[in-house]
Amino acid sequence: MTLTTADQVPPADPLPATRAALASHGRTGFMQEKLPRLVTSLAAFVPMAALLAIVGVLAWKALPALGYNGIGFLWHTAWRPGNAYANPVRTGGVLHPVGASYGALPLVAGTLESSVIAVAVAVPVSVGAALLVVEKLPRRLSSTVGLFLEVLAGIPSVVFGLWGALTFGPFIARDVAPFVAGHMPDVPVLNFFRGNVGYGEGLLTSGLVLAVMIIPIVAATARDLLRQVPRLPKEGALALGMSDWEVARKVSLPWARAGIIGASVLGLARALGETMAVAMVSGAVLGTVPTNLYLPMSTIAATIVSQLDGAFTDGTGYAVRTLAEFALLLAVITLLTNIAARVLVRRVAGTALPIGRGV
Amino acid sequence: MSLSSPAARSVDSPVVVDRGDGVAMRARGLSLGFGSTAVLADLDLDIHRGTITALIGPTGSGKTTFLRSLNRMNDKVAKHWHRGDVLLDGSNIYSPGVQLMALRRRVGMLFQRPNPFPMSIAENVLAGVKAHGIAGKQHYRAIVEARLREVGLWEAVSSRLGSSPFNLSGGQQQLLCLARALATGPEVLLLDEPTSSLDPITTEHVEALLRSLAPALTIVIVTHNLAQARRVSNRTAFFYQGRLVELTDTTKLFESPEHPETANYVSGRMG
Repeated sequence: MTLTTADQVPPADPLPATRAALASHGRTGFMQEKLPRLVTSLAAFVPMAALLAIVGVLAWKALPALGYNGIGFLWHTAWRPGNAYANPVRTGGVLHPVGASYGALPLVAGTLESSVIAVAVAVPVSVGAALLVVEKLPRRLSSTVGLFLEVLAGIPSVVFGLWGALTFGPFIARDVAPFVAGHMPDVPVLNFFRGNVGYGEGLLTSGLVLAVMIIPIVAATARDLLRQVPRLPKEGALALGMSDWEVARKVSLPWARAGIIGASVLGLARALGETMAVAMVSGAVLGTVPTNLYLPMSTIAATIVSQLDGAFTDGTGYAVRTLAEFALLLAVITLLTNIAARVLVRRVAGTALPIGRGV
Repeated sequence: MSLSSPAARSVDSPVVVDRGDGVAMRARGLSLGFGSTAVLADLDLDIHRGTITALIGPTGSGKTTFLRSLNRMNDKVAKHWHRGDVLLDGSNIYSPGVQLMALRRRVGMLFQRPNPFPMSIAENVLAGVKAHGIAGKQHYRAIVEARLREVGLWEAVSSRLGSSPFNLSGGQQQLLCLARALATGPEVLLLDEPTSSLDPITTEHVEALLRSLAPALTIVIVTHNLAQARRVSNRTAFFYQGRLVELTDTTKLFESPEHPETANYVSGRMG
């Protein structure tokens, strides 16, 4: 546009920003395209690299122990650091204290058992609470319950551990365990619930403390999933003459099933890896598999944290290498759990939901 | 009605024995609302047994709310209240001793959009049968087949009874929901704009089905489609602003309505 007279003013550009954007569109400048792509690629690379680095270093550290402990590591129960005062010996090229021997069975059993107890307790409680909050409680009350869940989720695990060790464990040992142990019939499976009830630090206390810790995760997810169940199928079930409980069982829960299983697996993963709280309430017994529900035990994570200091005093490095092997084992267990969960979710989601489909 | 072999029931054999007055359901002085809003005001209305009654009226006229009062689906809505009675076979469905589940077994419902449950096609048909313990396991197959044949869905789904209903078309899903509602052997079937989400061909099929079900079943249908009301119903009720303006034979209501409001609505001068 050209100005012909002095009093003619060019009209102000109404959309300068849009014009600028249009002008730069299609340009392949470094700042516009390459830098953002570089930054995002780096960001995407970080988690992958971190995982590889961690597993790699662990494996590198653990490799000599892997060779010496052998495959029997998985089913042996021993926990013998060996003689720290004698001269270390070399077996198959691996330097270790005389008489050192480690087995993973007690810790693997403790880890799995306490986590299974936690999930078995937490999932029904969480799903029940979520159903109550979504279907029954008035809105004001349900948001209060939601607040409690969020607060519970934010409490550090060491606080749970202290509560378990000081209050909850003794309560179990004094008021709950004797009653249960005294009334269980002495038959296979159920006799796991019988016998010496211990002093409150052990498998049951660990499992229950873990349950309290994973309830917020599972309950909050289940609540959100149940809220997303559409109204129409639920109304259809009511109109068919189903009770509220039947509607929940036949419509709401199946609708949310895959998601609830996913949330339970997240909870299980948390329980498998939880360290501090379990270290405080497990009783920290090494080298034996608990023979009943109440006896002291330990888990892989709790043992790594409680034994690391001592392991550094082993001049041969063999104890630390064994702990690294334990860490690898825990990573493998968690990975297997995740894979199993994915398979499970895919199988139970068999009745395809109307996601992304018109009616 | 015989509970031992529900599969034996067919369209041709009426389920309900008329008790003489020809009235299946009756509203007496029914007022109903939510909180401070009154939706229905002092309604008196008879639903004749074995007929199809259409409820028409502009949006917000209370016809759906009335329909939902016939199986007490409004009960769950916040701040629901009501006055007056709704009679089913002469007894008040709002009296304190009434079992909601038993009531809803006798008064079934089909919704605006298909709402299959997240279970297999066969399980969907059986959902109500199982909930009410109507028949033993040995009858399940026969019930599924009979009900699916009744709604004309058997050929399309017989090879995939165990698969998800959500892969069916919208019309097929709605027919499945109809089969599910019929499987509990209701006396009255409530339909809330059942074809509003369906294509014309399926709609025609559903309408023919309703006409064939009618002698054995009392049907109440809410519809926005006046032509549909004319096609399927024996009697039509015109609702306006929470009141029943007129209830009479469908032909009469459309051709020589008594009230000017009805005339305006059915002629399209008022929507």
